[in-house]
Amino acid sequence: MAFKRVPQKFTASVNEVTIGTGDKAIVLGGENVMPLYSFDAPITNRVKIGVEITDSGYDKTVPGIAAFYAGAETIGEIAKRASEMPGGDFVVLTLEGADPNGANKPIDECVAIAKEVADAIDVPLAIQGCKNIEKDAEMFNKLAEALQGKNILLISARTEDYKQIAAGAVMAYGQKISAESAVDINLAKQLNVLISQMGVAADSYVMNVGSAAAGYGFEYVASTLDRVRGAALSQNDAMLQMPIVTPVADDAWAVKESVVSEEDFPEWGPRENRGVQMEVSTAAACLAGGSNAVILRHPASVKTISELIADLT
Amino acid sequence: MAYTIVFKVEGGADVKTQAEQGENLLELARRIGVAIDAPCAGNGTCGKCRVKLISGALEVEKNPHLSQEDFDAQWRLACQSKVHGDAVIWVPMSASAFRNNIKTADLSSPEELARYEAMTEEIFSSGIARGVQETGVGVAVDIGTTTVTAAMLDLATGHVLAKASMGNGQIRFGADVINRIIQQSKPGGVERLRHAVREETLIPIFESLCRGADKKPEDISRIVIAGNTTMEHLFVGADAQTIRLEPYVPEFLELHGKTAGELGLPAKADAPVIFAPNVGSYVGGDISAGVLPAMLWHSGEMALFIDLGTNGELVFGNEDYMLCCACSAGPAFEGGDISCGMRATHGAVDSCTIDPETMEPTLSIIDGDKPMGLCGSGLIAIISELFRCGIINAQGKFVREGKRVRYDQYGGAAYVLAFADESATGSDITLDESDLDNFIRAKAAIFSAIRTMLKSLDMTVDDIDKIIIAGGIGSGIDIGKAISIGMLPRQELTKYSYIGNSSLTGACAMLLSDEAAEKVFEIGRNMTYIELSTHPGYMDEFVAACFVPHTDAHLFD
Repeated sequence: MAFKRVPQKFTASVNEVTIGTGDKAIVLGGENVMPLYSFDAPITNRVKIGVEITDSGYDKTVPGIAAFYAGAETIGEIAKRASEMPGGDFVVLTLEGADPNGANKPIDECVAIAKEVADAIDVPLAIQGCKNIEKDAEMFNKLAEALQGKNILLISARTEDYKQIAAGAVMAYGQKISAESAVDINLAKQLNVLISQMGVAADSYVMNVGSAAAGYGFEYVASTLDRVRGAALSQNDAMLQMPIVTPVADDAWAVKESVVSEEDFPEWGPRENRGVQMEVSTAAACLAGGSNAVILRHPASVKTISELIADLT
Repeated sequence: MAYTIVFKVEGGADVKTQAEQGENLLELARRIGVAIDAPCAGNGTCGKCRVKLISGALEVEKNPHLSQEDFDAQWRLACQSKVHGDAVIWVPMSASAFRNNIKTADLSSPEELARYEAMTEEIFSSGIARGVQETGVGVAVDIGTTTVTAAMLDLATGHVLAKASMGNGQIRFGADVINRIIQQSKPGGVERLRHAVREETLIPIFESLCRGADKKPEDISRIVIAGNTTMEHLFVGADAQTIRLEPYVPEFLELHGKTAGELGLPAKADAPVIFAPNVGSYVGGDISAGVLPAMLWHSGEMALFIDLGTNGELVFGNEDYMLCCACSAGPAFEGGDISCGMRATHGAVDSCTIDPETMEPTLSIIDGDKPMGLCGSGLIAIISELFRCGIINAQGKFVREGKRVRYDQYGGAAYVLAFADESATGSDITLDESDLDNFIRAKAAIFSAIRTMLKSLDMTVDDIDKIIIAGGIGSGIDIGKAISIGMLPRQELTKYSYIGNSSLTGACAMLLSDEAAEKVFEIGRNMTYIELSTHPGYMDEFVAACFVPHTDAHLFD
C-alpha cells in the first residue's frame, strides 16, 4: 500500500509575540505544527536569531568575533554592526556589568548604554540582565521606562522577581518580558500562571524554559522542550503556549570545550572552532525542540543557523 | 559536685532533682520523667523545647530558634542547655503539652466509641465470626510514631473496658522513623529504644488500662499490636536498618508465636502477642489492621484509604485487589517544621476563617480561648483561607499588604494569626513563607502519591467511588478546605468519610476474633506495595502538585 502522508497540524497554536516596531519588528511563534515541520502546515513566522553583545562590547579573545566588529569603537557602533550581522534578526544587549558581584555598574549607566544601543539600531532590541534578582528587578523597570515605545524584550523574569518586572515593565510601559524557569515543565507552567494571574496578556510575554550547552545535561532541556510544545499543541494548554526564546551563547561559550586554549589541548584544535561548534550544535538542538528564537554570539554560528532555518522552513 | 535543679511544670507538681555540672537539661528532664516535647530529638533544630530559667544558672549555646528578646526574657532551649549550678526551671504547657493533653483518636469521646462500635459491627456482619480460644480480657495497641493508643476489651462480650493513650517515649530519639532507625544503630540503641517504648510507654499504658478496668495483669490473655514497620521492629528489637537502606526490605513482615512473657509485657506470661503484618518498609501493621474496618476488601467499589500522619499511607482497591504506597508528608500535618506548629492539643488553633476585606482571622481553639499555635487541621484551614482571600498566591508567597501581613527586612513575609496580647504564649503567632512552603510540600506529597498510584493502574481520581480518611489529624480537617488547596482530589464531599484511628479499631477486631486476625494476615499478603521513591513519574507529579491548588488547574475546576 502506498504511503499516505497525513499532515500533523494542530488546532492549537503557539502565541504570537511581537518585538520591536515598524518594518523591522519581528513576530515570534504562531505555528500550529511541531518544531520546523513546515511540511505539515506553513510556518508563517520563521524562527529568529538574536545577536548578542554586552555592555562592554564583544569578546575580543575570539578572532572571528573581533574581526567582525573591528573598527567599531562605541557601544552604539558595535550595536549597529551587530544589527547588520548576516542572518541575525534582532540585537541582544547583555548588561553583565551591572552585576553587584562584578563591575557593579550603576543602573543609570546601564540605562544610558541601553539607550545608545537602541538609538543606533533599527532592528528590535532584547536586553538580558545580570542575573542578580534585586538589581535586575530595579534595572528592568528603569530600562522599560527609558525605552518606552521601543517594544523591547526583557530577559528575564523569574519566580523571585516576576511581580515587580511584570508590573513595571509590561503593565506600566508596555514592554515584553521572558519568563525564565529551570528545565521543568511544571515550574515553567507555574510561572506563566502567576504572570497571567497578574493580568499580563498572553501576547506580552515569552518564556525561557532553561537551557544547557549540548552534552551538559541537554537531554533534560530536550525533554522539557518536547513536553512543553506537546502540551501547548496537542493538549491546547494555554499556560504553555508562549513562544520560547533560548539564550544559547552564554552556555555554549562557558563550557570547557569553548574555554580551554589550544596550547593546553593541542589535540582539540583551535578554540574558536570548538566554541562555534558548541554554539551551533546547542542552537540546532534547541530549534529542533521548539525554541522560537535563539541568542548567539559568533558570526559563523549565526550564518550556519540562519541557513539551517532557511532550508527547513 | 551535685547541684539542685527544680522543674516547675505548668499545671503540674514541682520536680526536684540532683544533677552534675555539664549535664544536658533535656536529658535530665527525661531521666526524671518531666515531659518536654522535642520532635528533633534534641538536635537544636526545632526550637520546641523552650523552658524558662526562673533563677540560678545554665550553660547555654545560642540557637537561631531563640530570639535575643526571648533570650533576654530568660527563655532557653532545654536541649541546648547544660547544668551549671543550682537552678529553677519553669516548663510551660507548650513544652509538655504532647504528653499530658495530646488529642488523639483513642476511643475516648462518645462519637469515637460510636464509630468504633459501628465499624466492629460491620466487620462481624461481613461473614467474619467472633470468637477466640483465650478467655478473660485482651489488649489492643496501636504503636504510632508519635502516639501510642490502646484499649482493653472483654474477650467474651467485646466490650471496651478501658482505654489509654500516651506520647511514644521514643520521641526523644527523633520525631520521625528515620531518626529512630539511626538511633537504633548506635551502641546500646536497640535496648534504649525498646526501653523507651516498653518501660516508658507500654507498661504505664497497661497499668493504666488495668486500673481503669479494675483488672490484674494476669487477667490479660491476648494482645494485638499494630504499628508501622519501624515501630514493630524497634519494639521487638529487630534490626530496622534495612528499612531505610536500599532495597528497603524489612527484617520481617509477619511475626508469629510471640508471647507476653517473652516480650516483657505485663500480662499472663503465655498470652499470645499477635502482630498485625507489615506489607513493606513504609506500609506496616497499622495499615493492614486499618484496612480491615475500612472494608475495602468487602466491596466491588473502588475505594481509596488514606491514613494521614507523619507518613501518609495510601491503599487503593476493592475486593479483587489492593495497591498500597507510602509518602513522606513530613511532620507538617502534626505541627512539626512549622514555626508556630504544635500537635492537636490544648491551645491549638484547629480551624479558622479570614475576612477577605480586613484580613482579620476568626480562630477556633481546642479547649481554650487564647491560641498557642497551629495544629494540622488549623494549618489546612488557614492556608485555604489565605489563598481564598488572595493574601497568598499559588506558590504560597504573600501578595497583599496590611496590618496582619508583616514583612521583615529581607523581604520575607508572614501572616500574624495572633498578636502578642491575643496569644497564650505572650508572643506573636505567625505563619511565614517557609511554613507555607513546608506545608505545600506535605500536601503535594499526598496528592502526587494518589495520582501516581492511580496512574500506575491507568486510572484517574474520577474512578474513585469513595475516599476513606483515617488517622489522628483527620478528625478535624475540613475536607472542602483540604480540596481547595489541592491536598485531596476534587470529588463530591459525599464520597468522603472519616473513620478515626482505624488501626486501633482493626487491632480490636483482631483481638476479638481469630478469623478477623486471619483476615488481616490475608489483607497484608494480598496488598501490592509500590515504592514511590523509585517510581519514575513521582517527582514530576510532586513538582506539579507544589502549587495551590495544582499546576494543572483543571483537576480542581
